[in-house]
Amino acid sequence: MQQPREHTLKAFDEDLDRLRAQIAQMGGLAEHAIGEAMRCLIQRDVDGAMAVVQNDGKLDELEVEAERRVVQLIALRAPMAGDLREAVAALKISGVVERIGDYAKNIARRVPLLEDSSQLEPLSLLPEMARIATQMVHDVLDAFVRRDPEAAVRVVERDQAVDDFYDSIFRTLLTFMMERPQTIGQSAHLLFVAKNLERVGDHATNIAEMVYYAATGEHVAEHKKKAP
Amino acid sequence: MNDHSATLEQPAYLRFEPNRDAVPDTATQLSIRHLNFFYGRAQALHEVNLEIKANAVTAIIGPSGCGKSTLLRSVNRIYELYPDQRAEGEILVDGRNVLDKRYPLSDLRRKVGMVFQKPTPFASSIRNNVAFALSYYEKLSKAEVADRVEDALRQAALWDEVKDKLNQSALGLSGGQQQRLCIARTIAVRPEILLLDEATSALDPISTAKIEELIHELRERFTIMIVTHNMQQAARVSQRTAFFHLGELIEFGKTRDIFTNPRVQRTQDYITGRFG
Amino acid sequence: MTGSRVLQRKVVDAVALVFAGAATLFGLFWLFWILWTTLQNGIGALNPALFTQMTPPPGSEGGLLNAFYGSAMMILLAVAIGAPVGLAAGTYLAEHGRYTRLGAVVSFLNDVLLSAPSIVIGLFVYEMVVASMGHFSGYAGALALAMILLPVIVRTSDEALRIVPDQMREAAFALGIPRWKVTSQILFKAALSAIVTGVLLGIARIAGETAPLLFTALSNQFWTSSLNEPLANLPVVIFQYAMSPYDEWHELAWAGAFMLTLFVLGLNIAVRLIVRRRKRS
Repeated sequence: MQQPREHTLKAFDEDLDRLRAQIAQMGGLAEHAIGEAMRCLIQRDVDGAMAVVQNDGKLDELEVEAERRVVQLIALRAPMAGDLREAVAALKISGVVERIGDYAKNIARRVPLLEDSSQLEPLSLLPEMARIATQMVHDVLDAFVRRDPEAAVRVVERDQAVDDFYDSIFRTLLTFMMERPQTIGQSAHLLFVAKNLERVGDHATNIAEMVYYAATGEHVAEHKKKAP
Repeated sequence: MNDHSATLEQPAYLRFEPNRDAVPDTATQLSIRHLNFFYGRAQALHEVNLEIKANAVTAIIGPSGCGKSTLLRSVNRIYELYPDQRAEGEILVDGRNVLDKRYPLSDLRRKVGMVFQKPTPFASSIRNNVAFALSYYEKLSKAEVADRVEDALRQAALWDEVKDKLNQSALGLSGGQQQRLCIARTIAVRPEILLLDEATSALDPISTAKIEELIHELRERFTIMIVTHNMQQAARVSQRTAFFHLGELIEFGKTRDIFTNPRVQRTQDYITGRFG
Repeated sequence: MTGSRVLQRKVVDAVALVFAGAATLFGLFWLFWILWTTLQNGIGALNPALFTQMTPPPGSEGGLLNAFYGSAMMILLAVAIGAPVGLAAGTYLAEHGRYTRLGAVVSFLNDVLLSAPSIVIGLFVYEMVVASMGHFSGYAGALALAMILLPVIVRTSDEALRIVPDQMREAAFALGIPRWKVTSQILFKAALSAIVTGVLLGIARIAGETAPLLFTALSNQFWTSSLNEPLANLPVVIFQYAMSPYDEWHELAWAGAFMLTLFVLGLNIAVRLIVRRRKRS
């Protein structure tokens, strides 16, 4: 049921379009925040990291705004079927995106604590992991805006790569800490950064499942059951 | 079973019961098979097949002229009042085809009650309105009639409002009260099936809510078919919903599925407000 | 611009109002003139004797008792014959014959009867009844009046039942009640005031009929309670007395005309009241 026809009531379409646009905007902000936090981490840009922390407030505001929009849409337009699923998905996705923003903030907060950690080897793996996780966020919100359940399923499949990165970084950092106990503090921080990125991937997966349900009325698990 | 089973049993709030609000699968009360309906040469229903379950509310929705009222009017053969209207096919109640001319009309209409869009109180007292059909079907003493009238008015949630003025004209009641009187009048003869044809479309929201609540309660005793333009109403009161378009049954299923995840694009377009 | 348009509308409004008012006054003017003239000319005879004494021979005093009685009896008998038959036929047209060819034919024939000149009906009854019985009679007069009343009642009761909404019919039939019971206990009740209105209008119509009575009941100078004899009646007495050279008779004719006008006016007012009550409920 992609690209349904227009509603008889045009204002309904406008409301839905604005809601989608806002969710996309929130996704863009969260994506940018993760990217910035990682850049600051690599480049030891403490000022930039503080800016990331500050900007998170904007995402919180947008989440409140999204909730207001959804409640209004349900109250005034009484959406049904696909429209209703989409409105509910938008509400849930806005919450999840806000959480993704919190992870970016969490990473940025660790930047001042890791000022002299250039010699830590896992730092070289983290940017690639961050790139995959943020790409997932980008693609899943793209799928939401285009109501594309197949694109959402492809995002779900990519979560494995992020998990693999996490496992690899976890082992590396563990070895590192055993070899050089004096880096345990910094390594622990990096472990948390990796964990945060892994959670971003999980959340992108959650969003993908919401997008899939909104677009098809079925859960991804049901889809997988039917597929083989 | 060992002694530990009791202690291992989870408390009620931890138990997950995914099917708690499942639609009960009751017996089939009404089987509509290959129903075709004609107004003169114009065909209004095409090969409709539908199973109506007992003690449940089935809503019929669809745009104007889709044949939803025609479907109800076929069930009690009220269309026979008009010589150019005819139905073909079968509507089975208890295994007998009620569309068969040999099926006695008074038996059918006692079994199948109908309430219409506009309240139609008879120009008579409230009591007479309810007792009218009753005294035709059954030989009852005055006291029995009084009991049955009270019973019907109570079931229609009207008794408290009219018990002191049973001898007054029914025309003096408000629109919502008149409609509940029509429901009382219909259920007084104890039918099995209740047909509601846009029964609330002429009423204000409060009267509508009262009648919807009534439908909920009556479901215990009757099989209800309701035609409505108001999709929210169909969603509120029914367990199953049938969507009609251009005289065809497009989709039939549990109401919660029809309104959250319809299978057919035309249903989706209609209930989400995308019909041209 | 707008100011002149407003002014223009006001002028048009005022002119229309004046014309409408003038037309109303024009109609009322004749009504009151008729009432006034009949009253003025008949006032001398408007006394208790009008209702207690018989029509007098020329040159003496008297009243119109026998004429009132004769008219009343013939109207009652006409209603007794015309109303049930008319109601039955109207019910057939509205409830049974609505979609049938026979119904359409009956309806058309009724329209023909409705517009038949009353003198033709008088001649018909004269030929069928008076000629074969050999004398004029109240029965013949009542029959002629009934034939004029009949199509009026057929039409009005047909219309009265047709304006009962189909939903009422469907609601009653949906209860499984047989047709005769639906018609007699629900539809007649719903249409009652409209049917009564039709009967009253029919009475108003026949109350002043003169031509058919000339051929049938004729008139009678003397009191008789028998409908099998020529019977005095108001319209014919008015006709005869007004044509006469005697002043007393003229006065009685005027008084009779006044009473007749008053009776018809009263019936129409009654109809108005019934219609208004129906609209309210």
